[in-house]
Amino acid sequence: MAKIEEMLAGKRVLAIDDLVESRSAMKKMLVILGADEVDVAKDGNEATEFILHNDYHIIISDYNLGKGRDGQQILEEARFTHRLKAAATFVMLTGENAMDMVMGAVEYEPDDYVTKPFTIDVMRQRLTRILTIKESLKPINEAIDARQNEKALEICDLFIDKQPRLKLRVLRIQGRTLMRLKRFEDALKLYDAVLNERDINWALLGKATCLFNLEQLDEAESILNYTIKLHPQYVQCYDLLSKIHVKHKKLQDAQEDLMRAVQVSPKQVLRQMELGRLAFANKDEAVAEKAFKQSMRLARHSCYRSAKNYLLYAKSVQHKISTANTRDSRDGSKDAFRALEEVKALYKDNNDYVFEATILEGATFTNLGKEEDAKACAAKAAKLLENVMQPSGVQQLSMVQLYLDTRQHAKAQDLLAEIDKRGDLNKTETRELKKAQDQISEKVVREYTTEINDRAIEFFERGQLTQAIELFDKATVYKEAGLAVLLNAIQTKITYMDQRAPTREMVNSVNDLLERVGSIPASDERYSRWQQLIKNQQRLIRSL
Amino acid sequence: MSFDLNTLLSAELHDIKNLMQGLNSCHETLAEQLQGQALYQDNLANIQLHSQNLNHRLIELLSILKLQNPDFNCSEDEHWLIDTLTPLMHEFKQLNNLDIQANFDAEFNGFYDEQLLEIALRNIFTNANRAGATQVLVDIQEFDDGSWLIQLTDNGPGFKSEHLKQDTFTPQGAESGLGLYLIEQAVSAHIRAGKTGKMKLDNHENGGAITQLLFP
Repeated sequence: MAKIEEMLAGKRVLAIDDLVESRSAMKKMLVILGADEVDVAKDGNEATEFILHNDYHIIISDYNLGKGRDGQQILEEARFTHRLKAAATFVMLTGENAMDMVMGAVEYEPDDYVTKPFTIDVMRQRLTRILTIKESLKPINEAIDARQNEKALEICDLFIDKQPRLKLRVLRIQGRTLMRLKRFEDALKLYDAVLNERDINWALLGKATCLFNLEQLDEAESILNYTIKLHPQYVQCYDLLSKIHVKHKKLQDAQEDLMRAVQVSPKQVLRQMELGRLAFANKDEAVAEKAFKQSMRLARHSCYRSAKNYLLYAKSVQHKISTANTRDSRDGSKDAFRALEEVKALYKDNNDYVFEATILEGATFTNLGKEEDAKACAAKAAKLLENVMQPSGVQQLSMVQLYLDTRQHAKAQDLLAEIDKRGDLNKTETRELKKAQDQISEKVVREYTTEINDRAIEFFERGQLTQAIELFDKATVYKEAGLAVLLNAIQTKITYMDQRAPTREMVNSVNDLLERVGSIPASDERYSRWQQLIKNQQRLIRSL
Repeated sequence: MSFDLNTLLSAELHDIKNLMQGLNSCHETLAEQLQGQALYQDNLANIQLHSQNLNHRLIELLSILKLQNPDFNCSEDEHWLIDTLTPLMHEFKQLNNLDIQANFDAEFNGFYDEQLLEIALRNIFTNANRAGATQVLVDIQEFDDGSWLIQLTDNGPGFKSEHLKQDTFTPQGAESGLGLYLIEQAVSAHIRAGKTGKMKLDNHENGGAITQLLFP
């Protein structure tokens, strides 16, 4: 092995630790070992800035960085954004054994772990080893960085014969590369061969991933359960298990898997978002709200920041908001408005996001009972929707909902007619459309029948029973006609027959209406009126 | 208000580990600054001795706690034995003048829990040093089924005969039997395909203790 001084010469190193003493000690240690260009960062934000603006050969980070992001997140972001190449080295400093650590996705594992407390001797030894291995594997990693996956696989094959001591490292890269190429059958063979020798965590997860992609869900699930038993901290297993449960349509189980995962590793943005989505689908509002809040907070200064973090959070707090002036409602609306303001400021040039935020603002005002403010939002959203070249079904449906919430049924109906003509709605959107149509007819009709009822009563009170009956017949055509309308119609017809003479046709019509009324409990204030109407009707029948 | 003992212990140990790391670093900086100044070397060596002892006792304490935990799982991973051994070789040479010689291919790598093997090795070297040995030879044997054996032979007086007859070891207080107990616990935590790691004690025909650790 070459000397560490030679290996570190000319290399740019980033050391990350939240404690000032540890940071300066690490820098000194690295300088003593031969590094001549060492930057230090105190947290995830500072590290991200450094990584964004410099090309590092080596990053050494403490796992636990206090309140902000942890070392694993820094690693994931650096690799995710390709700012840290496969050929570069990431060493994680931990207070635990490597296997007790929260292990990241296969492609986001550090090159090595060094357990604290360590001496310079230990650091020398570990760095020498990992840099030697990295140097040996350089041709493979360079091919991966150049996205020449087939070439990387070829080099791997040659390598295993040449350097049998590095066989497992190479097989691990080969497995990952095969999966990247979606050659799951080949990857499965590779993992099986490894597992034939020994139960290695990454091979177990690799095998489960292959089986999942090959739709062998039950086998994948049983391997994951076995792996979790061996390594309860291996959070990626919970993620995959959750995906399997989603495929089986067991959304509650899927949510529970992710809840276990966030207990182990609460700082992963994408996992929190997925948990929020599942909890929202399961109507577990408290969990959804917490998960979306976390994802929004965690993503704020990371590469995972997206408008969705903010919008989903604003959506998830709606359950708390009501017209009652409770603390929960006040806090919920404040949080929702703040998140929506942030998304509008951050993504002000994105019409779609601003539209979605405005719709959610409208919904928040509606829940607060502030109809005028909600109407103003609906007007703004409608203008934004006009600027969308080809609005999606989802956008139009959300606009319809805001119209309905603000009782602008005519506008809602016009837009629904437009949506109905699209012909490109998926199943969920079609269901939403139907729901909105039902909602609109129910609302409109109920209002309509009430209006007719009022006019009919006026006729009844003036003794103009024929006109009153005409109007009641019009109102009771609708199945949505309420109990009051039905009873009024019955009373008018009975009065009419009492004053003139009972007819078979009108008696039958009253029978139909009584049938629609059904049974009224004795506790209901309309009970005695109903009883009286029945008696009168029976009397009329007898007199026929 | 009551505390969960495990949470409290973990938090305290986390802090102690960081403090220990700081102490190690301070010592290394001081050693660097005082290089070649003979006047300070004795005190410097004393500080190193005490801080390293403290460091080892802390790691040992952590491992004991880990081993006693009912949910304990051995954290086996691929390691290069020379990397685990070298810091110990330097330390025991420097502090105890114990000469540890690695008599195996430096590229040998195996699957083991590094922290546990470190505990085992440290106890073997400490036992050898206390018994008066000045040298320990480390050999490796690899087997076709993937298992491997590390053999440590010292030039001390060898094990007492009662130790050779014992199948299992239980600690008799902090000073007696704890070392062998920990070595046995550390190696037997390694399990593969129904096979468990084993410790075997023997004496060399020319004197000296032989400790064999078999990893499945």
